[in-house]
Amino acid sequence: MRPADLTPVARDVMKVPAGPGLILASFVAAYLFNSLPWAGWALLARPDLVLVVLLFWTIHQPGSVGQGLAFALGLAMDVGDSMLLGQHALAYVIATYGAQVLRVRVLAFPLLEQSLHVLGILLGASTVLVLLNLLLGADFPGPALGLSPFLAALAWGPLNWILYLPALRRMRREGAA
Amino acid sequence: MIREPPPFFHRGPSPLARLTFFALLAIATMIADHRFGALEAVRLSLSVLVRPLQQAASAPGGAFVRLADYFASQEKLLRENEALRQKVLEYAAEAQRARLLQAEEEHLLAMSPPRSRFTTEGVLAEVLSHGRNPFVRKLVLDRGLTSGIKAGMPVIDGQGVVGQVTAVGTFTCEATLLTEKDQSVPVMLTRNGLRAIAVGSGKDGSIDVPFMPVSVDVQNGDLFVTSGIDGTYPAGLVVARVTAVEKNTAYVFARITARPAAGVDNYRFVRILTGARPAAVPAPQPRAEDPRAAKARPPGKARRQP
Repeated sequence: MRPADLTPVARDVMKVPAGPGLILASFVAAYLFNSLPWAGWALLARPDLVLVVLLFWTIHQPGSVGQGLAFALGLAMDVGDSMLLGQHALAYVIATYGAQVLRVRVLAFPLLEQSLHVLGILLGASTVLVLLNLLLGADFPGPALGLSPFLAALAWGPLNWILYLPALRRMRREGAA
Repeated sequence: MIREPPPFFHRGPSPLARLTFFALLAIATMIADHRFGALEAVRLSLSVLVRPLQQAASAPGGAFVRLADYFASQEKLLRENEALRQKVLEYAAEAQRARLLQAEEEHLLAMSPPRSRFTTEGVLAEVLSHGRNPFVRKLVLDRGLTSGIKAGMPVIDGQGVVGQVTAVGTFTCEATLLTEKDQSVPVMLTRNGLRAIAVGSGKDGSIDVPFMPVSVDVQNGDLFVTSGIDGTYPAGLVVARVTAVEKNTAYVFARITARPAAGVDNYRFVRILTGARPAAVPAPQPRAEDPRAAKARPPGKARRQP
């Protein structure tokens, strides 16, 4: 058996958890980003930051963020984007489940490989959304839609950096004291 | 090797159980919304919660537009004024003619069930955004329940029909464009009075007129206006101009494509027609071969069919 402090999960457990304020603020900021007046092909390629932030907290803080929040955020996205209620909810819940299953594995990798895992989850979520809408009789809106998961996966690295900043600052302060 | 967490770390049901529960809940929500439209209250209350965020997100864009308006050059304004003045003159003549026609119509209607096919009542609405549903293109307008908007009301601009209100919030409403898939409008050809149904094609902003026989008398450039027989759209609104007629005798139907007259993407202001009301269902008339009706009718007077 390996010493506990070397496994990524143990490292994660030992970390000081992020406060609810930071989690809420990150979701609000991501929702604001998603609600910008996107139009045309930019709308199709819009990276879904709400989902990326959701995956981030699911992976890094599974005790506070899970499928219940994913469902609620999905409903909020459906209302905001005036889609059939429950579409985003389903996609987000499935993506969150994927993140919960993969989180131990994802945490063992550096950021680049992490974002590849996240890309897989994001592709799955957007496939669910597209299939649902095709089932409902919509036309495929355009190939730019395929760009969205890739752009969102690109946001994984910077997002890690931004959401870790408060924790880093706190650690530095405590280290200095 | 990661082992199962000890029981004192146990956190309720497993992820898979949760996934099953929430996925079923999501599917139930979709069915309730799609089939029964039962979740309008949920949508309304959620939209009230979400609205401040949405407003905040669209504020920078709105501010930019207003700033651009403010700095619009005088020359541009003068040109626009000139164009508008010309249009007013053009429309003045038409309006006078329309008033005459309306008076005639009222006179005629006085003799038959009271129902006007023309309406001009409406409210001006600003286009807030183009909606963010990539699968169905919609306009978000700044009028809602508080302005008496109801789902189904037609939306027009200066040139013609833009679409129809399909969802109403407290302060906003959504209009689905005429060119969207499955949006249909009963229309009439101005040249020969041919009745048809115009259906949005869902792609490249065009409209199809399906199920017309190959022998149909439709030409390029013909104008379709609403026929008003559905009771949703008042009669006489310009809908689309025919751009292509393909008559191939190998097919049963002609393929007619039209381009909407309204500048669906171009305008910041539209008009929601609130005066449009469902047509009164005409009372069933006794048919000519009905013996009782024939007996009741005074002899010698031919009954006019409406």
